[in-house]
Amino acid sequence: MSQSKTQDEGKENIYDTAKCRLLRKYKLSESDKLFLFRFEDPEIATNWRFKPGQFVEVSLLGLGEVPISICSSARRMGFFELCIRNAGRVTSQIHKLQPGSLVGIRGPYGNGFPMEQFYNRDLLLVAAGLGMAPLRSVFLYAIDNRWLFGNITIINSAKFGNELLFKRELEAMKDIATAEDISIVQTATRDPDFKGLHGRATSHFEKVNVDPKNCAVAMCGPPAMYKGMFEELIARGYDPRYIFVTLERRMKCGVGKCGHCNIGTATSWKYACKDGPVFDYYAITSIPGLI
Amino acid sequence: MRYVKISKQNTYEFLERLKKIGTLYAPHKISEKFFDFCEVDDVKDVMFEYQRTIRPPRRFFYPEREVLFTFDTRKVELYENLPSDKKQILFGVHSCDIVALRTMDSKFIDDQPDPYYKSRRENGIVIGLSCLPDEYCFCNVRRVEFVDAGFDLFFHELPDGFLVRVGTVVGHKLVDPYEGELFEEVCPDDTENMSKFEEKRTSMFTTQGNWDNLRYFMELRLNHPMYIRESEKCLGCGNCTLTCPSCKCYDVQDIPSIDGRTGERIRFWDSCQFRSHGLVAGDHNFRETKQDRFHNRYQCKNSYCSATTTSFCVGCGRCTYFCPADIQFKKNLMEIAGYKGGYS
Ligand SMILES: Cc1cc2nc3c(=O)[nH]c(=O)nc-3n(C[C@H](O)[C@H](O)[C@H](O)COP(=O)(O)OP(=O)(O)OC[C@H]3O[C@@H](n4cnc5c(N)ncnc54)[C@H](O)[C@@H]3O)c2cc1C
Ligand code: SF4
Ligand code: SF4
Ligand code: FES
Repeated sequence: MSQSKTQDEGKENIYDTAKCRLLRKYKLSESDKLFLFRFEDPEIATNWRFKPGQFVEVSLLGLGEVPISICSSARRMGFFELCIRNAGRVTSQIHKLQPGSLVGIRGPYGNGFPMEQFYNRDLLLVAAGLGMAPLRSVFLYAIDNRWLFGNITIINSAKFGNELLFKRELEAMKDIATAEDISIVQTATRDPDFKGLHGRATSHFEKVNVDPKNCAVAMCGPPAMYKGMFEELIARGYDPRYIFVTLERRMKCGVGKCGHCNIGTATSWKYACKDGPVFDYYAITSIPGLI
Repeated sequence: MRYVKISKQNTYEFLERLKKIGTLYAPHKISEKFFDFCEVDDVKDVMFEYQRTIRPPRRFFYPEREVLFTFDTRKVELYENLPSDKKQILFGVHSCDIVALRTMDSKFIDDQPDPYYKSRRENGIVIGLSCLPDEYCFCNVRRVEFVDAGFDLFFHELPDGFLVRVGTVVGHKLVDPYEGELFEEVCPDDTENMSKFEEKRTSMFTTQGNWDNLRYFMELRLNHPMYIRESEKCLGCGNCTLTCPSCKCYDVQDIPSIDGRTGERIRFWDSCQFRSHGLVAGDHNFRETKQDRFHNRYQCKNSYCSATTTSFCVGCGRCTYFCPADIQFKKNLMEIAGYKGGYS
């Protein structure tokens, strides 16, 4: 079997997968687990690269493939992490895998966040639910390249406090955060019993410690959140050229072929897998039907 | 460009010889009303005059169903099942269908090429054939009624044979051995006859002008009442997409063997008109209603293909001709754009 390390070269079968071994899994919430994988082929393991916001197709033979965002740091080579929600046929089986098991991986796919454009800016990351998975990769990128970024604020939200993904990891950041000008805001939107912040992401702007004029915003959550956040951000003077969001659609191929992720209208017909999943403010607001 | 002429009689002989190069497919009459590309057994069965085949030629490069991989679940390995490199020759492809194949190329042979499609395209020979439109055709307003690329040879009907345009090196190689035997030089009368044919053809289209601004009107009139009225009639059967020469959606499924140790990863044509097309986990659907799905097809088909500088829809008329609910695509688009028929 040919195991391609970069599938952009065009020589290999783009649908072929590379074997990855599950090394560890951790429970993050009742329905979410974090999986640590490593490519079996040492050459792929050392050469494989991705950008924050990109995703892979995880393949379980006999069951099928699912698109999953890479949530680890792009700078930590040799392994990668996926945070997977038990949502259906394939993901429930992934949840049952034991360390040592093998899966097939192809990718990375999608455009990812344009991190280079974010250099020398403050960062505001706004996540709802599973949205924290791709944004964790953005956050870790900024941490691993701390000198390239200004202040960082993360707003992590979930319906219930015990569904806040990476809550403790982010909490642990707080010890060093003040000195580093990093603010972590974690809020539960529908959990009166939660011992922490309550309400939507938009209600915590007073805790955001960035300069709107010189800030890049990356968001991942439901379309309703984007609508609310766009209004707030523009009203507060954020630069729309530096506002990016990710979109979710049904994805089968991940490489702009199968047509399932199609979005847009006749003048701007897009495939969320290849033209996205990251889109900028202007695309979202000018192409009908994106959110 | 190189031009040669072939008589009708010699065309049969040429088809006979093409059969020796690979599997030859050409339009056949398959029922009272319908035509389809079939493998040529008796060259006399080939139809030189037909409006449209029920199944689009893309199926020769991108079959309705194919095994991408076989797999072994214990070894966790996939085994490629690439197509054999047998030659497929398509004779009698109309201009619109040739452009449709080029729109497919733009997606399937891009920076991440689909190896299955690419291999079949590389082993395919496409021979075009001129045609006269019926009331369902609107390739002219789509600006694809006369192709410049995408064919190896193109046969233009003359009263006593065909004027043949040679489009590629493969085309030259098909003509070379029979130059002087089956193919002769084009004389001024042939050119004159081709002109007359084109003139007659042009006058037969029921719509004139071009529809280049259509996609902008479609966007400016996103909530046009046509969508509600027409989608109510739609059965969601997917005929329009299955018969479309430029539709390319597919789904993939793993079919395990009985003992679960091996299996096949297959892909098969899907349709955006099916409810499952936009369905994701948690029972959320990105195209929830029939109207959403109907609208989606209208936008997709009218979107811009930069490789051909045309829309993906090439105006072949299949989606209307084969729609059981008699939904008139051409008419509906004219309604959205405000085209009054005639000249736009
Ligand atoms: C770009 C992108 C990134 C994603 N990142 C993550 C992530 O980091 N963590 C995570 O838990 N989930 C993520 N998802 C969602 C995840 O892909 C679905 O939850 C998963 O496909 C469900 O598959 P299933 O077989 O378990 O569910 P089923 O409902 O049984 O789905 C059957 C099939 O439909 C398709 N499908 C179903 N839901 C989705 C969906 N939401 N998106 C795309 N295809 C779908 C898949 O091909 C799947 O195999 C992401 C989706 C996209 C598009
Ligand atoms: S062929 Fe007609 S009835 Fe069937 S899905 Fe298409 S528009 Fe609807
Ligand atoms: S949309 Fe209809 S008319 Fe256009 S190419 Fe497809 S089948 Fe033909
Ligand atoms: S997932 Fe197949 S085209 Fe985007």
